Amino acid sequence: MIGRIHWWTVILVGVIATIWVIPVLGIVVTSLRPPSEVALGWWRLDTFSITFSAWIRVWDEYPLAQAFWFTGMLAALATLGTMLLAPIAAYAFHFLKFPFRRLLLILIINAFVLPQQVVVIPLFTLWRDLKLIDNIAAVLIPYIGLSFAWSIFLVKNFLEDFPKELIEAAKIDGCGPISTLRHVVLPNATSPIFAVGVLQFLWSWNALLLPMLYLRSMQPLPVLLTKVAGTYESNWDLRSVAAIVTTIVPLIVFVIFQRQFAAGSQTRTGAKE
Amino acid sequence: MFNRTLRRRTVMAGVMLAALAGVSPSVLAQDLSGELVILQWQTGTDGQMWKDIEAKFMELHPGVSVREFQPAGGQGDARGGMRTALLGGEVVDIIINTWPAFRAELVNSGILRPIDEQWASFGWDDKLSQSWRDLGSIDGTTYGITYTYGDRSAIWYKTSQLEKAGITPPATWEEFLASFDKLKAAGYPAPVVIPAKYWAHTEWFETLLLRTAGVEVAAQLAAHQIPWTDPKIKTALMKYAEMLQAGCCAAPATMLATEEPYPTLYTSEESSYLLFGMWTNSALKNDLGLEEGVDYSIFQFPALGMGFDDTSSVDTKELNVTTNGANPAAADAFLDFIVGPDASNIMANYGYASPSTAMDGSLLGPVQQIATSAVSSSKVQFVLGDLLPGDLVDEYRVQLQKFLQNPTEATVDEVLAAIEAKAATAY
Amino acid sequence: MTRSVAEAVTDRSGVPSRAGGGRLRLPATTGWRIKEAPAAWLLIAPVIILFGIAVVYPLIDTIRLSFYDIKGLAPAKWVGIGNYVTLFNDSTFRNTLLTTLIFTLGTTVISVSLGWVLAMLCAFAPAHTTPFRGMMFVTFGISEAVSGYMWLNILRPDKAGLLNAVIGVFVPGYAHSWLGDPNTALWALIFVASWSGVGLPLMLCFAAVQSIPKTVLEAAYMDGAKPTSIMRHIMMPLSLPGVRVAIFINLLGALRAFDIIYVMTGGGPVRATETVGYFMYRESMTQFKLGYGAAATVVLLVAVLVISIPAIIQRTAGAK
Repeated sequence: MIGRIHWWTVILVGVIATIWVIPVLGIVVTSLRPPSEVALGWWRLDTFSITFSAWIRVWDEYPLAQAFWFTGMLAALATLGTMLLAPIAAYAFHFLKFPFRRLLLILIINAFVLPQQVVVIPLFTLWRDLKLIDNIAAVLIPYIGLSFAWSIFLVKNFLEDFPKELIEAAKIDGCGPISTLRHVVLPNATSPIFAVGVLQFLWSWNALLLPMLYLRSMQPLPVLLTKVAGTYESNWDLRSVAAIVTTIVPLIVFVIFQRQFAAGSQTRTGAKE
Repeated sequence: MFNRTLRRRTVMAGVMLAALAGVSPSVLAQDLSGELVILQWQTGTDGQMWKDIEAKFMELHPGVSVREFQPAGGQGDARGGMRTALLGGEVVDIIINTWPAFRAELVNSGILRPIDEQWASFGWDDKLSQSWRDLGSIDGTTYGITYTYGDRSAIWYKTSQLEKAGITPPATWEEFLASFDKLKAAGYPAPVVIPAKYWAHTEWFETLLLRTAGVEVAAQLAAHQIPWTDPKIKTALMKYAEMLQAGCCAAPATMLATEEPYPTLYTSEESSYLLFGMWTNSALKNDLGLEEGVDYSIFQFPALGMGFDDTSSVDTKELNVTTNGANPAAADAFLDFIVGPDASNIMANYGYASPSTAMDGSLLGPVQQIATSAVSSSKVQFVLGDLLPGDLVDEYRVQLQKFLQNPTEATVDEVLAAIEAKAATAY
Repeated sequence: MTRSVAEAVTDRSGVPSRAGGGRLRLPATTGWRIKEAPAAWLLIAPVIILFGIAVVYPLIDTIRLSFYDIKGLAPAKWVGIGNYVTLFNDSTFRNTLLTTLIFTLGTTVISVSLGWVLAMLCAFAPAHTTPFRGMMFVTFGISEAVSGYMWLNILRPDKAGLLNAVIGVFVPGYAHSWLGDPNTALWALIFVASWSGVGLPLMLCFAAVQSIPKTVLEAAYMDGAKPTSIMRHIMMPLSLPGVRVAIFINLLGALRAFDIIYVMTGGGPVRATETVGYFMYRESMTQFKLGYGAAATVVLLVAVLVISIPAIIQRTAGAK
């Protein structure tokens, strides 16, 4: 920015940002202090000791470790599915000609309007009839299916700026549509594919409603988290650990890739330099 | 009805124990194998108790492996998650159930298997009296075997708090209302804790209804044979209002956000009385490490002097078996096991009373003894909320929340009219 | 989870994007015209199948079911528009419409305006505020369910709740039950949703402010304009495109909200925080009135559609 730095803005923003992370600090502290000490508030320093008791007990009392791997597996499969299928379809929609192409494209990219509540009842009855309740396909299909509206749109938008000379050159070299995709388009479209992957990973890791309804024997972390609050007990320390375990992976992914997020939204909003 | 059970238990417990221990396992253990799936929705200490019970069953029947199925998605009331599971095609052998209305719902959906034949062949008449059997029946067909029951008209208190306020457990309604000021003076700003986030605020109304109108009226109301706008119902709710106006409780907003009463009651030392089910016993003992009968105790709901002070609200938990379960033989054996000595005594150690004569009554702690004898000398009526159809119970709870916010006569009329409107469509 | 979808949907939706980007036209003649269509169908087949199962079928089936009365396992009964008539006579449902409106507008206004103002403040010292922007953006990466738990901890009704304790410093003995008072519960939820959602508007608006040509700002400084007037007269109008995106994403996300309500209040107290998205869940998945729940879903869908009309037009026109 031009001119001198306005320190008051830095301080003001700093204060607000500090307030912003207090809830996060709250559960971290709650998870590390004995419940008796924090009964009157996690910030109280009347007596202060650190214990890893909740961090140790929670694994025994709840199937947190299993849920962790299961969540990771679900998110990974959903992410791979979308990262694989969306770019391929985006390529087909953008570079190939076929009947109903535009109609299908319009349908798919406008599906972003659908709230997830729309799938709840029909898929519940469908999975029930197909005996797919409690099968990971019951959540993977909607995870991936619902992602196309934005993932295909995102990749296709990128392809609009794709240098057509490359496609032409491939054609001249005798590449068919599919080998053009494999050898020319995909290797040069890693950035949107990657962005799609990150978004899909966060979305499927954090999903609550669909797995809560469609999965039974194994449940991912957000669902487990809602169960950790014992029926008749208050276990703030265990809840806090479960909350941290639930959010740590997506949070790390998010922190690492937030530059891509920021940069991505910048170009995508047309705010190009 | 409980009289008989109790007398038999105290007289015959030892005899029965010896007899059962010698006879039953050889009869039952034959050829049971495979997986037994139990729809188990309790968590915390109750969940732990179930783990112990299941482990004991597997020890007795090594061929059987018990798998718990835990439903998700029923906040406040486990039935939501259970419906999702069962109507979603989940196949279980045994359902743990505490709602008679839910049993009826399951029977109507064709999910439950009658257990009259098993009742005869296993000889459960020796363990459970006819009145318990009636409780688990619909139109003469038995579907549920009750394995525990609880006093829902018992008020929990912490002994040191009452001592500090210089009072003894109040015996009459007037004494009870008068004790609020003493407790406040002793530093307990909200003498009664009402956890109203989901359902527990209805407990006070339900016992007050029994104490002002009797069990018959409560039963008629549950079946909607009398309307909610009946003056008798209003009288009960006005008693509730009297208690609120006497300054029993924290601000309505605090009640509406409270789902876990124990911290308020025993950690931050703000409240003294809690009207809550017998699972409180297990939570106080096992989670908070308090000593039953010493650190805390119960007294039966104070007398109102309106002619119905011999009434109590009770709950039960029962087991149901399913029509589509994969392992009916093991399921039946489990029913026999749950009213047998092994399971009953595990429950007694957790602080739960079994109606079975097989239970060793001496294992029950002092508080549970008080509750058991109170129930046995009462005319009992099942918890009203658990008898209402699912759709109505939601409205009933929400309307009573509304009542808590502003307990005036005008609100009472409004609230009862609203429940009646819903009831008109719910049966 | 709704948030990230909405977020992804974003930007590419209702917005004047792709300003100068030359659009690629397919060449008139190509060497592989003959093989194109079969190859294309082969490539999009998995997408069409999954999209059909996860989107098209549920959409049609929800609409179909909304015309039936289905309770539990009982056979479905055709009732025409009966469910819709019942819905609009159901005071609980009418109340959820109002709650949804307040929740949606509340979270959008708060998170977008806060994000916008913060973005402009940050623009006066972009480098020095980077860590702070990061701190606020990070909350956006925390799932709604976890955010809910964090805030339950802060909003506890007793003095162990941080918010009460902070107010208690000024008003001794203060203890308000934020989530138990129907007058504050919805606003508490709105605040929490805004807390977790402000990161995106902040980033989008910041990007928009950053894209204002430096010459414009330099000129303003030369003229001796104060920071506040630069904000008001230059940054605000010129960052509007980013703000529009942010508003749209927030509207979409808030309309569909479920997780945060489920975790924090379960729709209570006295149904004060029950939105259409939650009502639908309660009626269909806990009471098992599937037809009735489906009708509520259709109403929700219509609301989302109305808000999305500009975005749909934009996308459809852009779908070359």
